[in-house]
Amino acid sequence: MRKLIATLLALVMVLSVASFAMADEEPIVVTVFRGDPGDQPTSDNKIYKLIEEEFGITFEIEFLAGDLDETLGTKLIGEDYPDLFDGGNSAEKLINAGALINLLDYISEEKTPNLYNHIKDIKDDIVDAEGNLYIIPNYGITYNAQIQNACNGPAFFLQKQVLEWAGYPQVKTLNEYFDLIEKFIAANPVDENGNPYEGFAILCEGWRHFCLINPVQHLMGQPNEGEVFINRETAEVETFINKDYAKPYYKKLNEMFNKGLINKDTFVMNYDQYIAKLSSGTVLGMFDQTWDFGPATDALNAAKMYKNTYIALPLVYDESYGFGVISEQYLNGAVPNKDRGFGISVNCEYPERMINLFENLLSDKWQKILQWGIEGEDYSVVDGRMVMTREQYEQRSDASWKMANMATAIWESAPKKQGTQDDGNAWAPADQGEIYFELMNDYDKAFLAAYGYKKPADFFNAPCELAPWGEAWQIDKAPINDDYNDFLLIQDQELPKIIMSADDAEFEANWTAFVDRIAPSAAIHDEFMQAEVNKLIGK
Amino acid sequence: MNKTVVNNQVLLPKKKKKLWKTLWDQKYLLLMSVPMLLYVLLFNYYPMWGWRYAFQNLDLNTLKKGADWIGFENFVWLFGREDFLMSIRNTLAMSLINLVLGTTTSILLAILLNEVRTRAFKRTVQTVTYLPHFLSMVIVVGMAQNMFISNGVVNTLLLKLGLIDEPLFFLGEGKYFWGLVGVINVWKEVGWNSIIYISTMTSIDPTLYEAASIDGAGRFKRILHVTLPGIKSTFVVLLIMNIGHLMEAGFELQYLLGNPQVYDYSRTIDVFVMEYGISNGKFGRAIAAGMFKSLVAIFLLFGANFIAKKLDEDTLI
Amino acid sequence: MTAMTVKKKRGQKRDIVFPFVNGLILCILMFVTLYPVLNTVAISFNDGTDAVRGGIGLWPRVFSTEAYKSLLTDEQIYNAFFISVARTVITTVLNVVLTSMLAFALSRKEYVLRGFITLVMVLTMYVNAGLIPNYLLISKTLKLSKTFWVYIIPTMFSCFNMIVIRTYINGLPEALAESARIDGANDLRIFWQIIFPLCTPVLATVALFVAVGSWNQWFDTQLYNGSKKNLYTLQYLLKMKLATSMQSMNAANTSADALVNSTKSTPITIRCAITVVSAAPILVVYPFLQRYFVTGMVLGGVKG
Repeated sequence: MRKLIATLLALVMVLSVASFAMADEEPIVVTVFRGDPGDQPTSDNKIYKLIEEEFGITFEIEFLAGDLDETLGTKLIGEDYPDLFDGGNSAEKLINAGALINLLDYISEEKTPNLYNHIKDIKDDIVDAEGNLYIIPNYGITYNAQIQNACNGPAFFLQKQVLEWAGYPQVKTLNEYFDLIEKFIAANPVDENGNPYEGFAILCEGWRHFCLINPVQHLMGQPNEGEVFINRETAEVETFINKDYAKPYYKKLNEMFNKGLINKDTFVMNYDQYIAKLSSGTVLGMFDQTWDFGPATDALNAAKMYKNTYIALPLVYDESYGFGVISEQYLNGAVPNKDRGFGISVNCEYPERMINLFENLLSDKWQKILQWGIEGEDYSVVDGRMVMTREQYEQRSDASWKMANMATAIWESAPKKQGTQDDGNAWAPADQGEIYFELMNDYDKAFLAAYGYKKPADFFNAPCELAPWGEAWQIDKAPINDDYNDFLLIQDQELPKIIMSADDAEFEANWTAFVDRIAPSAAIHDEFMQAEVNKLIGK
Repeated sequence: MNKTVVNNQVLLPKKKKKLWKTLWDQKYLLLMSVPMLLYVLLFNYYPMWGWRYAFQNLDLNTLKKGADWIGFENFVWLFGREDFLMSIRNTLAMSLINLVLGTTTSILLAILLNEVRTRAFKRTVQTVTYLPHFLSMVIVVGMAQNMFISNGVVNTLLLKLGLIDEPLFFLGEGKYFWGLVGVINVWKEVGWNSIIYISTMTSIDPTLYEAASIDGAGRFKRILHVTLPGIKSTFVVLLIMNIGHLMEAGFELQYLLGNPQVYDYSRTIDVFVMEYGISNGKFGRAIAAGMFKSLVAIFLLFGANFIAKKLDEDTLI
Repeated sequence: MTAMTVKKKRGQKRDIVFPFVNGLILCILMFVTLYPVLNTVAISFNDGTDAVRGGIGLWPRVFSTEAYKSLLTDEQIYNAFFISVARTVITTVLNVVLTSMLAFALSRKEYVLRGFITLVMVLTMYVNAGLIPNYLLISKTLKLSKTFWVYIIPTMFSCFNMIVIRTYINGLPEALAESARIDGANDLRIFWQIIFPLCTPVLATVALFVAVGSWNQWFDTQLYNGSKKNLYTLQYLLKMKLATSMQSMNAANTSADALVNSTKSTPITIRCAITVVSAAPILVVYPFLQRYFVTGMVLGGVKG
């Protein structure tokens, strides 16, 4: 009897191995979940067609439509896992729930050289405490040189016309910045349509409140760590918003408010109203991140109001503040996007084929297809340089073109190459110098020329090396959610009050009240962040 | 004591027999209602075992492993938060305002429409006024914000009329918030809410109006003595139902219109639960809050129903 | 004689003033409620990039149909529209028939289970088990996910509507049902042949509520049919489009993308276009339903 079972088992095993080997050629339908919204590709999408021809794989993709945590929660409790599972910004939940397989079991130098080399240098940073890897980062793994044409992250922004009016001065400190705005408004209270200029806007809505609460760390010469200041040598972490070095910034804003350069509506406006205001060209400056006000930039460009578009400036406190000479460091090294991207679920019947797919897609040939398209159709090569015409580049932002001609849904969450190719071309078309300058308008070219710069990023120091903890804002605060909510809410409520103080005495009183009120939650925040940073650097 | 037992023994078989006979007589009524009873037992009551999560530390991490029993910890946490108590106050205040404003305006609109004799005009008004119901809250709130900012229509108008010297900070001061919510809700829903009263008015016997006219009743008397009594039972039933819903003041409007400057007045229970329960995956906490809301709702419902019964009005149950 | 004329005149005068004032009030109300609607339509036909600047009134500033194009050129939209129509029609018919049948049964004062069933039904409006138990029931126990029936079966009954119909039936003259019973009709026939037709105004109202609710529903698609492209409803698809356009706006656009100024649809115009696209079918159907509840001829006719 036992023999019989053993034979049967062996038979089953042989059969399953056989069928597995055969499956490699068999066409399969792979179910995919993306933790972001997206458009379904058309049925005759040209890139997916190529993938189907070469690997025999077609995709059935589900995009996020509602709330991410809610959607993941129901998928997890129902054990309704797709083959390729991208948990978006909550992917930790998939890992914690045991929904994903350990990819390191499948990655080796011999079998999957592309994947192996892809993660070789950063492996220690992206594996979990047990040394397992469930997700290969979808972004932030740079080959050769990192390319930075313009500041895409946080900065103080100023309308270009203000600098033009002042004769293209170098503006490097907070005081210089606000002095210039003040002088400009004194000389030009209204724009050419008679609308009054507003000196400085602060977006405070929802999660975009970083415009209100983040600037201080940069004024102190640190790249974006979120709500903490981290000593680069000792990795000491502290909440900065309630510290003495934060106070002068809000004092400055309070001064500007009382001079009428900041409008109180700024504290209650929503994102749409903020964008509408910037797009009207009447807001001279703000602290923000470039991508956050992209629609306003688009609108200003479309209306040919180039002088009202913004230039990013890396401001710091000057010596008069008593913090010594501060050197700006806004730009940071590329951050591997830990735990973001596709994982392979435990329900997937063909994990090897999935790994193989990623391995092949990471080859130079497929990376070019995924990022640039088809040579001759979507781009051309001139003297070894990959180039696109304006039309070719523009159609890439057309949603219906993308649905038919790009494999966006798969590409975005799959491992990819960024930075520079071995032959010097950029991996991303947007980073390619020729394309960037081809797209730039004449006003911008003249503006940069006046400063003797080639690209907007020349206003900044070169990116620094990424700290071992990455960027601290990425740390998931879920374990201290309640206190973190309080921590943020107190800032959201008190900082506007502080800025709107009528006089110095009120300012001092409001500031003290704020520091007292935030102390308990800030202490919890400090302790938690310190512990997380310690974990990340393996202390 | 003894007597009742004896009585019961005597009466029970008879009663039972009678009941079976009644049930048999009412077989068609049973046929029309019992399947629906089973339906709601399955779809509405069976999932109620989920309420046990209110006593567990259920979140996304414990979802699969199984959560632990933690007694009343979720409730203790909720009621220990001053801002949760504040959100109960805000919820009740805003839903009361909505109830009063919403009901009166929609009845008023229905009456005014009922008095219109030109059929085309009546239909046009009706169609136009219900349209805002279909606008998404995001759009409506966006428009309202543009109207109420310092240099918006409302402030400009008030300044021109000389009612104020300086623009009011409608969106940034808590004292205005409940009023804004009331106005926006009426604006968006008055037409839609009046549909039910308009359709009820069609059931009023036209001869009643004629009789009233012959008796010399003027227009206002006719409204008072014919139209209003005609919609009274609908009004009472809807009122009882809505009193049960007082714990629901809405979510989206407050979430979109509110900002940290007015949180003390804008946060409803649902907004609070979103921020401290759902968005963090703390389902146990969210379910505890939901359970609390349900219990209060049932209490309010029975209270209102009881009062209506005492007043000899139509009742819900 | 003179006194009577005076009285008559005064009466006439009043009858001119009231309709005038009434008409004026209703016209103002129409303007106030029409403005946001027309504004939405105007924005939906505006160029997306231009629309982010705000300040659009009743007419588009830079005319464009980009937003509609990006919504309607998707090959999936026809299938989604069909699914939406199918679910709305089937749900509405089933819901109205079943709900009104129950309302009739519960309106009968002599019905023994009346109190009990009413209580059970009414409580459903106030107790909610939460998302997860409901999800498990429908997708695991009943295995309705990834099927069309998940749109129909869980939405066949609404207590609110049942109460509304019951209240209406209670208002009908008792004598109608009574005389039928004397003629030997059973309850089913009384309901179907007498009460049901008499309830047309309220049934039209309830049908409107159910249809609008079903038509606007997208959450069930997300929860149960998100991986089934061919079962997407129109609302789900539209919501997806909006989410995508907001996503692409928030996404870390590279610096070069900021230099491209092609005309685009933006979340602002897409949201407005979605409102128009999803409300339009209801606007088309509405007048047919409205006939029944604006003019109360049905009852008067029967009684006369």
